[in-house]
Parts: sequence; structure tokens; C-alpha cells
Amino acid sequence: MPLTRRQTLALGAGVLVATVVDLPAWATPSEAGAEIAKFTGGKGAEPGPITIDLPEIAENGNTVPLSIVVDHPMTAERYVSDILVVSDGNPRPGFATFHLTPMSGRAEAATRVRLNTTQNVIVVAKTSDGKFLTAQKQVKVTIGGCGG
Amino acid sequence: MADKPRIRLPKDAKKGDVIQIKTLVSHVMETGLRKDDSGKLIPRKIINAFTCTFNGKPVFSCELEPAIAANPYLQFTARVEESGTFRFSWTDDDGTTITADETITVAG
Amino acid sequence: MKPGVLLAVGFALLGLAASTSRDAAAQTAPPLATDGGAAARPWVRYKGWPERDESKFNTLAKLASPPAPTAPRKLSAPLAGDAATGAKLVADRNRGGSCLACHVMGPAGGADLPGNVGPDLSEIGNAGRDDEWLFNTVYDARVYNPETVMPPWGTHGLFNDEEIGHVVAFLKTLKAPAKFKTVLDDPTKRPPPVETRDNLDSMVNPGMWAVEKAPDLWKTKGPSGSACADCHADPAAFKAWAAGMPKWESRLDKVLGVEEFVTRHAKVTTGHVWLMQSAEDTTLSVYLHNLANGTPIHVDVSSGPAKEAYERGKALSLRKLGQLNFACMDCHSPQKGGLKWIRGQWLGEQKGQYDHFPTWRTSLNDIWDIRKRFQWCQVNIRADELPPDAKEYGDLELYLAAQNEGLKLNVPGIRH
Repeated sequence: MPLTRRQTLALGAGVLVATVVDLPAWATPSEAGAEIAKFTGGKGAEPGPITIDLPEIAENGNTVPLSIVVDHPMTAERYVSDILVVSDGNPRPGFATFHLTPMSGRAEAATRVRLNTTQNVIVVAKTSDGKFLTAQKQVKVTIGGCGG
Repeated sequence: MADKPRIRLPKDAKKGDVIQIKTLVSHVMETGLRKDDSGKLIPRKIINAFTCTFNGKPVFSCELEPAIAANPYLQFTARVEESGTFRFSWTDDDGTTITADETITVAG
Repeated sequence: MKPGVLLAVGFALLGLAASTSRDAAAQTAPPLATDGGAAARPWVRYKGWPERDESKFNTLAKLASPPAPTAPRKLSAPLAGDAATGAKLVADRNRGGSCLACHVMGPAGGADLPGNVGPDLSEIGNAGRDDEWLFNTVYDARVYNPETVMPPWGTHGLFNDEEIGHVVAFLKTLKAPAKFKTVLDDPTKRPPPVETRDNLDSMVNPGMWAVEKAPDLWKTKGPSGSACADCHADPAAFKAWAAGMPKWESRLDKVLGVEEFVTRHAKVTTGHVWLMQSAEDTTLSVYLHNLANGTPIHVDVSSGPAKEAYERGKALSLRKLGQLNFACMDCHSPQKGGLKWIRGQWLGEQKGQYDHFPTWRTSLNDIWDIRKRFQWCQVNIRADELPPDAKEYGDLELYLAAQNEGLKLNVPGIRH
């Protein structure tokens, strides 16, 4: 349930993430939350129709394919303007900030990322009418057998 | 940045089509967190920004962090209404930029 | 044979082959530099690889490991160990992967992706095993089962007696099935990985960039003034060659794989010094394999020396190596650890392990030939590796290639 702006600001950055995006208990209160708060200007983000395509288990954390699709119109009147990607288990939380335009046609982006350990990847999308949508997905990063 | 960037998009499309664009550039994306043999931190050196325009108008851009994997791959879409040229540019931490152009013929 | 003679033969062939098809050149044995090695000398382990010196234990080239004990050790006193310390030790990845690499062990390590090469030990505290049995199984399980895959943690000095005492104390607390956080953590329910990447797409597999670079290398003249292209104008002539490698080479009294062949052939015909595992040698190995993609692997193991090499390779695949005392077949035959999990990694069987080499390794951002893969395996099971051109690697490679008979080459691969 979305909080009012006053409520979210009062709670502070770390708790903002836990409350608004409904992270499970083991998420690091964070840097990730601070990045999100910077992106949203402290506004709340609602769970939204964002598909995060990540492997359930990554064979290693060196190069993990990530694709994001936001189910949202991309017209001159209403479109997804920015997508922030962060995570809660890397040395630093940031991955990328994508900027889209109505000419993007669809609110999609894909890349390959580095993951230090099993963690949650969190996506926050901003729409042209100032709303914020969010979703997250956990990726297990394989622990190798004997160093190989 | 060594080899030419790799770009994949259709050579032609119909007016109003949304096409998929794949890009890949060869780059180590040095995170700044690794140590060399003597134990010293290897300085960060990454592609930190990417832009794509079509006939001069912005389509898609992004800022990248060290958590983006080496040889950064970026895939996105574009709606094409006319023929023209996509221009792609990647910016390194050291300020250098590499650009590449791809044309598309749009019918209708 | 003196190098000068070989060089003369090489140049003579050059004159002939320049104006003929590759078929004509194939009638005569391709010239090879038979002096010296084909790899960097002295052989020094790659920087960044584990630096352990494992000369006290078996390698593929020499036997050195201490013998197995002939009888279990008797405990002079009841074991005094601390279960909490034991719980840490069994999860310690600095001790050769940790017990969790092969065993589910209740809550140890958070039950985070344990392996299943060995039995689930989550209820061993209720299995009626006494301290002496538990101690000796960890110390050196060979006293109970000479065929065991279990490393001899005590005999090979990975754990001391006190530490084994802690491990035993922990094992005795295990009396309930492990609770996994997700179904993926349970090795009995974890789906084996399926490779779905398009390894021949240069957007997906950086290994393909070698295929793009190779034609230039093919045309690059070496110190003797010639290039590969001078004799081999059409690389398409190699559309089956790599699928028949490795091969017994009587002039060198060893099995030659593609990489070593390229080193020795290029040296004598062009003067290029492209040692094994150099960028150029690896690029050409990728290229030559890629040119033969789709061709079923078929190596000659019928003739006398080739058959003997095959038998040696088979024996080497069964030799226990290194401090962890693993043979290739301990992990890669379904009768032992093959088609099971070590930690979160799937252990493949031999069939399917050769057809995609050289392969891009995503964990290392590099393309590796089969010899480098052998070396890495050895170092990580705590055995000293051999130089890439070791004859033992040739025997092993011939044996492995024979297990992949009929599989079509698909190079470069892309793997962890």
C-alpha cells in the first residue's frame, strides 16, 4: 500500500525500501534504499507491472543476463521516462539508470550485470506523469564446487 | 575501447514498427574494486554513459555503473516512423567517446 | 631429426603446396618443429590461480601421495570436540571446497546449495555410528571403502586430529532433515542446467570474436616470410580436420592436439612463434575447430601407438590426484560423482565435455583450450598441473575425445 510523501520521508531512506517495496527480512537496509530515494525524490513507489527476467540461479556472478519490461504505454502523452536498477548485495547498489522516450516504442531494456552474491535486484520505473512503479527479483548466485 | 562496437537491428521496417536494437562494445569495465599482484587497487575504468538518437532525436540513453558486466551489452527498442540513421555513442570514464551509425529503411 | 633438416623439408613443401590444393599437401605428413617444447618454459602457473605447491601428492606425471592406511586408527580416548567449531569447519571453503561441496548436512552453511556427490548426512547423528567410525571416515575413508571418492582429510593433512574431533562432534548433532530456503537449494530437486545460449552468436559469445580475427592471422606473414594462407589458401579445406584430432604423432612420440599442432607446424613453416595458450594459438584453435563445426568427432584409437595412448589416457583418468585425491572419473563418471552436484555446480559426464572446446568461460572472461581446462581442474583439486604440452595431457585428451565419438563439433562453446 503506498504511503504518503510525508510518511515516507519521516521513515528515512533505509526503512523506505523495506516498507514501500515490501522487501523480505534479509535485505540490507541500504544504500539501495538511498539510491531509490534519490531517484524518487523521496516519493513512494507502488508495486507495478514490471517483468524482471533474471535466471533463478546464475552460473556465476560475472555476467548475468537481465531484462526488464514495464507493461505501460509509450505515447507522447504517457510513457515510462526512466528506469533505475539497483541491488542489495553488491559492494555498491547501482547498476544502471535507463532513460526512455516515446520513441522507444516499448518500455524495455536488457543488459548483463555482475552479482557479488545471492541478492535481490530491484527495479523502479518512473512515468512521465510522475508516478513510480517497482518490482524486485532474487537471484541465487551459484557457489562453485571446488574453486572451479 | 578496442574493437568496433557491434550493433544489430533490422535493415528495414514498416512505418510504426517497434524494432529491437542490440548493442555490444568491447570494454573491460574495470570496477575499481580489484587489486593487482602487489595488492594495489586497479583504478575504475568503465563505460559510464550510452546514448542512442534517431535522425538527431533522443531514443534511449543510460548511465552505467561498474556492476554492468564487461563488454557491456545494451538492448532496447525504437519505434520507427521514417527512414534514417541511428547514432550510438559510448562514453568512457576518461572522457573519450566512441560512436557508430546504422541506417534503416522504413516503408509506408 | 635436426631442426635444419625439418626446416628444409618445410620449405620444400612450401614450394610444392603453394600451387596445389590442400589434398596434395595432406599426402605428406605436415611439417612439424620437433625440437623443444610447445609451451612456455620453464612452466610457471598462471597468475591469479591458487598458488599451492602440491608436489607431495600425485600428478598425472608422477606418483607421490602417501599410501592409504591399512587399518582404522584406534581412538585412545573419547573424542572431545566442539560442535559449533565443527559446523564452521564443514562449511569452510578454504579446506578444499568444504564438506558441503558433496554432502547435505542439515543446517550447516545455511543449507545454501549443498552438493550430493556423497550421501545426505543430515541424520547421521541417529545412524548408530560410533566415534571411531566417524573419526576414521573423515580421517581416511579408504580403510572402510578402498573405492571411496571421499578425500583423505587426515592422511593428506587437510584437517588435523583436533579438527576432525570438532567435525565429529558436529556430525553427532545432525538428527533431522535439512530445511532448504528454496527448492533450488535441495540438490535432489535442483534441475540440471541446460545450455540454451546461442554460442555461435557473437553478441552472446565473445569466443566468436576469435573466429572473426582468425582470417587476418591466417594471412599474417611470419619471420620466414610466409603465412598460413600461402599453403592453405582456402580455410574451408579444414571443414573436417579438427574433428579427427587429437592424433598420435610418431615423430614426437606423443599425442598432438590442435593447439600443439598449430604451434609446431606454424614454427617450422612460417617462423611464427605461437606457443600453446598464446592468444594467436588459441585464436587459431578456435578457428580450426569452428571450421569443422557439425562434423562428428572421430579420433583414431585403432593403431598400435594410438591404442596404447588411449589405454594410458584411460588409466590416467582413474589415477587419484592431489591433496583431495580425486581422479577425473571420480567426478565425471556417473558411477561415481558424474551427473551430481558439487555445491551449486553440475558435474558433467565425459560425453559432451569435449565437443565445445575451446570454450569461452564466463566466470573468467576468457577463451580456454582443453589443456587449460585440464590444468585448472587439477589445480582446484589441489594437484600440481603439467605444462600444456605434457604427453600425459595428450593421452588424456585422446581418451576424452574417444568418449565424445560421434558428437558434432560446436565451437566455440560458452560455459561457466
